[in-house]
Amino acid sequence: MTTVIDSPVSAAAGEPAQPKENPDPLGRLQSLARAKTLAAEYAEVAPLLAELTRSESAASDLVRAGRVLSKLSPAAVLEHNPAQAVIKVAVAGHSTVAALVPPLTAELARHGLLLDITLGDFDGYLRELQDTGSQLYASGLDLALVVLDPQAIFDELPEVWRIEELQEATTAKLAQLSRLAEKFVSNQPTATLVLNTVPLQRAHTHQLVDLRSRAALGIAWREFNAGLLRLSAEHQRVAVIDFDPLIAAGGPVGDARMACYAKAHLGDELLGRYAREVAHLTRTIKGLTKKVLVLDLDNTLWDGILGDDGADGIEMATTYRGEAFGNFQRVAKQIGSQGVLLAVSSKNDQEPVEEVLRTHPDMVLRDTDFVRINANWNPKDANLRDIAARLNLGIDSFVFADDSPFETGLIAASIPQVAVVRLDEEPALHIGKLLADGWFDVLELTAEDRERAALYRTDAARQDLLDSSDDFEEYLANLGVTLTVAPVSESEVARVSQLSLRSNQCNLTTLRMQPDTVRELSQSPDHLVLYLRSADKFGDNGLVGALFCSKSADGLTIDNYIMSCRVLSRGIEQAAIGALLAHAKAAGLGPVHASYRPTKKNHRVRDFWPSFGFERSGGTDEAPDYRHDLATPPEIPGHLRLRASFER
Amino acid sequence: MSTLTEERFLEIVRDELDLPLLETELENDFDQVVSWDSLYLLRLVAAVEQETGTRVPVGRLFSKRSLRDIYTTIAGATAAV
Repeated sequence: MTTVIDSPVSAAAGEPAQPKENPDPLGRLQSLARAKTLAAEYAEVAPLLAELTRSESAASDLVRAGRVLSKLSPAAVLEHNPAQAVIKVAVAGHSTVAALVPPLTAELARHGLLLDITLGDFDGYLRELQDTGSQLYASGLDLALVVLDPQAIFDELPEVWRIEELQEATTAKLAQLSRLAEKFVSNQPTATLVLNTVPLQRAHTHQLVDLRSRAALGIAWREFNAGLLRLSAEHQRVAVIDFDPLIAAGGPVGDARMACYAKAHLGDELLGRYAREVAHLTRTIKGLTKKVLVLDLDNTLWDGILGDDGADGIEMATTYRGEAFGNFQRVAKQIGSQGVLLAVSSKNDQEPVEEVLRTHPDMVLRDTDFVRINANWNPKDANLRDIAARLNLGIDSFVFADDSPFETGLIAASIPQVAVVRLDEEPALHIGKLLADGWFDVLELTAEDRERAALYRTDAARQDLLDSSDDFEEYLANLGVTLTVAPVSESEVARVSQLSLRSNQCNLTTLRMQPDTVRELSQSPDHLVLYLRSADKFGDNGLVGALFCSKSADGLTIDNYIMSCRVLSRGIEQAAIGALLAHAKAAGLGPVHASYRPTKKNHRVRDFWPSFGFERSGGTDEAPDYRHDLATPPEIPGHLRLRASFER
Repeated sequence: MSTLTEERFLEIVRDELDLPLLETELENDFDQVVSWDSLYLLRLVAAVEQETGTRVPVGRLFSKRSLRDIYTTIAGATAAV
């Protein structure tokens, strides 16, 4: 571990001036709207909402903000901000769904995503799922939300009903929804269908006076909900939002008067929580999942201040408050075990911090759980940037949790791309605050996820080898890189899809692909989908890249090349492209075409294709197309052992 | 429990519903109020209940045709408490 040594500044010597946060974010939003400059100043919205979300009245303020924002037309925002990301959503429901618009607008805007929404008819969900011409089947759609409520079942019952009729209704409704989900997935090529489990309310259970039937109702209801949840396991593009934890957070499911008079069966509070889940689902689908959790130490992971209280004076077990910190550590460790990289940024000296992490008997998190430990007296924004640079990850994939309002305010104001978790002096609330947003949600975990922290840690050993080598060639020669290039089969589908969704910097055309698309292409005779797996003397790097190619009469087109930046500059990319081109030449697949399509993140691979002998064949200077005539494919670097196969 | 004055009612309409109405427009039939729908009514009810701490007779309001009618019904109900 490298220690950054700078002239230490005592924390008490006065904090540096901090960029101002807005004290009245909702007011600012409203005044921008009144001045008709909100569309032009749309970039201000996400930081304002981040600020607003920390307030006591966040839930209702977000809805108010959403009302202001939903009056903007997406076209007007795009006119001023052509690069603004838009999420196309269609909603269908059993009851009134219009109340979903403000919270969903606001929750997506928190993530810098602009909502373009189409609402279906009242009680139109069955017809709209059935009709492939409905808003749910619109082209280019991202999400199709089908909002289910208890009346979707109870409306199907006769005036007077017995438990048997309810059991039949739930079974039939589940079968119907399964068929419709199937129809959706086969007729809607882009969007994810979002269903939800349906709350069971006392006003329903207690219409049955005999306890035996009431229990049977509870069972039938839960089987219906469990069946819905299973739909998401059956289809890659079906997600089911579980309402149970949203309702367990407290508050009514709805207001009986609003349900009766306005057919609004799900109340604003519940719809707000649902909207938050939908926004995180959007992040997941769009590959915007956060990858790194940076934690403070003093009063975040333990009770007390290491510098003042000493290693024996800090608590993370045995005392009342200590136990709360220990619980928080367990949750952080749990998150870290699932592919999220943990790092430390703490105003402390490095050595005592490492000592505590290694040897303190009560610590749950250990030095080996972290990929970076930055304990120093530099400002935390500089430390976060340092951690991002060392991990070779974009800083917008960071979440930062700290109990100090100064530090959280500093990061929120100076690096607004970082998601900030504002902990406070009550450690029992740390867990809830960390998990309030699904920053780290992914569709499914891959083997790489479980090993990720270890993969990043061995990078430190590689860094040491590089530091001790005379030059880069000697480093590569000693690294002992092996590379396997082979067609993707079922066991690689999940990871290749994940790589296409997560990789930003080394992603030549940034084609995002869900697992079923990867599977389809990998089985198509006209396509060639290859994975790259590498290892070196320090261990396995895992599946680190993928090549998507399509064959035609014109030759072979590389639709995309993606790679984990972690393994860049080890000759892996040159060997992979060299092997593919040699194969294309030997198999007579014709010239090879490739493109670069710019995003905000992938500028470092701008000159990727020319560096391997590709010549410009068209496109624009910003988005060039290339061609390789295969006269001299790039050489396979000598330091690397390559195993390449192209036949399934 | 406070009674709801007409001025305060109008303020709630302006702030909560974002409808910049003049006092005279209270009388207008909803057909003349741009984009009036039942969602506005629900939000109005929630805001008035929060303000007065009194339950509003929602079921009676859906048949009203102007904000004046709604105000009269609500004011009657809150005064009766």
